[in-house]
Amino acid sequence: MDNEHIIELVKNTLVAAGSTFKQDKKDAYKKAIDKETNEQAKWVLETILENAEAAQKNQSPLCDDSGIPHLVLEVGPNAAVTGNMLEAIKTGVKEGLRKLPGRPMGIMGNDSERIDQSGGLNPDSAGVEAAPILIRQTSEDVVRLHILMFGGGPAIRAKTYRVFHKHNTQVVLDEIVKWSIEATAQLGCTPCTLAVGVGRSHYEASSMMLQALVDGTYDRQSDMEQEITKRVNEANIGPLGLHGDTTVLATFMKVGPQRASGVRVVCVRPCCCFEPRIATVDLV
Amino acid sequence: MIEINTPISEEVIANLKVGDMVYISGRIFCGRDAVLPKIVKMTEDGTESELGVSLQGGVIFHTANSIAGVGPTSSNKLEIESSMEPLSKAGIKLHLGKGAIHPETVEALDKYNAVFAVIPPVTALLGDKTSSQELVAFPELGMEAFYQLEVDRYPAIIAAAHGRSIY
Repeated sequence: MDNEHIIELVKNTLVAAGSTFKQDKKDAYKKAIDKETNEQAKWVLETILENAEAAQKNQSPLCDDSGIPHLVLEVGPNAAVTGNMLEAIKTGVKEGLRKLPGRPMGIMGNDSERIDQSGGLNPDSAGVEAAPILIRQTSEDVVRLHILMFGGGPAIRAKTYRVFHKHNTQVVLDEIVKWSIEATAQLGCTPCTLAVGVGRSHYEASSMMLQALVDGTYDRQSDMEQEITKRVNEANIGPLGLHGDTTVLATFMKVGPQRASGVRVVCVRPCCCFEPRIATVDLV
Repeated sequence: MIEINTPISEEVIANLKVGDMVYISGRIFCGRDAVLPKIVKMTEDGTESELGVSLQGGVIFHTANSIAGVGPTSSNKLEIESSMEPLSKAGIKLHLGKGAIHPETVEALDKYNAVFAVIPPVTALLGDKTSSQELVAFPELGMEAFYQLEVDRYPAIIAAAHGRSIY
């Protein structure tokens, strides 16, 4: 595949990520609407689904915080990724941000100016740089790119920290539920999809969280995922924090290799009502 | 659904209660983290007339305004929530955003007969309900500048009013 073709595919995949609900998420919303007993909560869920249909039809942003691109690249056993291909992906991301259009929220300036936002905003949507690419292996003979758009609200409420597990999984689950209830009560953009990663370092836990969003599905949930969802929903926070039965639509959890130690590092991201904003494309 | 038009009267606010579902129409302001402290400073200095618009009976929507559209940011961010009391004192009647606000802010809103409402973050739908936009002040802040929009039936739920909160 030549670079021009890759750029075009990546551009359109980014637009799809920022404007489209996957079918399993639509189904999860429909189920939640049917079950919801709180009048205001039901109205919020219906409005979010209506917004998703409008965004998909217009190929326009689901949310004005169109998000920071996070890329996961899967590489098969006989596939090769070249520097040129990575450059084409980077160009495709820029073109996708312009087409969506993404919110022009790239901050300019030196290190200090980017921290205190005194360097000004880049007026170009493409001034928003993607986060570093995560690469992992797959058994399929492909180069597969997943594009996820991460909003700012969940980043404010996310937490990555150590948990002393006391050789009991329940201790870790209890902590995840506690963090999630605190986060969803403050988020404002519920219902959430909780993304959870468990690793040996903060980097690894965050990486697991990202991969959980790639691999997770609303219609197939593990026992641990179901327990977390059920317990957080019992807190009655509800859509937009207005109470009701639907604080969390689902939990996507990935547990990585663990250290011989009393410590687990846990990353919990309370993804907003539109996340995961994700789309996938095969480049080879 | 209760229809609310700007500028909003004291009486309309007095009759709103927590949980009311409303449609907001008319001209509303947009501001968030970067610009609201500047507007507060102008009201404290008595220079808000330089804005060329009246804050009386107004709505402030906690949002950026960009080519991606509009949608609520978290109202409980420090610089946004701390603007709610002084801007209510200056005449703003409805603060529109998302997320739980602190009990002290709920009390402060009541002191000036102002309310807080939450709006679903439905950018694609809000685009169809926004007919015009005008830059009011601080253009150097880009998408975080102070804007005024003409809107038709923005949907919202009253989340804090008269000392009570839905949270």
